Amino acid sequence: MRVSYKLADDDELVKASLDGDKLAFGEIVERYRKNVARTVKGMLGDTVYAEDIGQEVFINLYNSLGSFRGEAKLSTYIQRIAVNLTLNEIKRRKRFFSMFSHKGNEEMTEVEIADAGNEEKVEAKEIVNKALADLDPKFRIVVTMRLLQGYSTKETAEILNLPLGTVLSRLSRAQEQLKEKIKLL
Amino acid sequence: MKPSELKKLINQALDPETDTGKIAERLQNEGVSYDFKDGFTEKITDRLSSVSLVLKRETEFRRNLNLVFYRIAITGIAAIIILALSIFIAQDSFSFNSLLGLGDSYDETIVCLLTGN
Repeated sequence: MRVSYKLADDDELVKASLDGDKLAFGEIVERYRKNVARTVKGMLGDTVYAEDIGQEVFINLYNSLGSFRGEAKLSTYIQRIAVNLTLNEIKRRKRFFSMFSHKGNEEMTEVEIADAGNEEKVEAKEIVNKALADLDPKFRIVVTMRLLQGYSTKETAEILNLPLGTVLSRLSRAQEQLKEKIKLL
Repeated sequence: MKPSELKKLINQALDPETDTGKIAERLQNEGVSYDFKDGFTEKITDRLSSVSLVLKRETEFRRNLNLVFYRIAITGIAAIIILALSIFIAQDSFSFNSLLGLGDSYDETIVCLLTGN
């Protein structure tokens, strides 16, 4: 039996996870947690429920590993789950807030507290968080994929399951919205 | 990184022609990185273990239920066979009447039995 999966490739990890090996699945989590965090926290902010959604992403992945055919990369598959769960959470919160208060879009309110020795770095993160915060979720997800994940427009379209033209138009609308906002930051 | 430089990077990332891989990498080096809290992986594996424990219990319960059903069914079939054999031995036939317990009865006795006279 294998003790460490550090050197194993994704296919091996998926196979071992399907055989019920929790260590192998733990390695998948370790490998992609930052990737998922960029999407989830980029969209929802550094909040407690972003942590919960992060966990849900991997639980969903574990439950759907059986239907993963390997046609797309594992990272793409995980990203799709992360995007879907995050957008669902935003919709759910929007519905909740519109029912109980007039604060319609307050999903991004918590920002990390500044670390004394790292102020410049924290400031950079705050600027990015603030820039993303007020964007409409459908534009924010496209910007998150490009800016934080570094995906090309084609990859973004594949992950979001959208036509390339839609991604390009959303990117251009986001650019318009951000132009004014960035000046004020 | 100066805020002005950062804003420039954000604007560049929104240009569809830009290779954003390098921008994302640079941002990460500048502290724009995200991760979950410590113990994240352990929490997930714990949750998965508890889920599989529940599934295991459900499977065991179903298996036990099946076993109980088979035991009852087999006992029932055995009882029916024994009953049929005893009828055959007592009545010397497997006719419909003997199976109903009417093998030795005549119409008169049945009428007497039903009317009480």
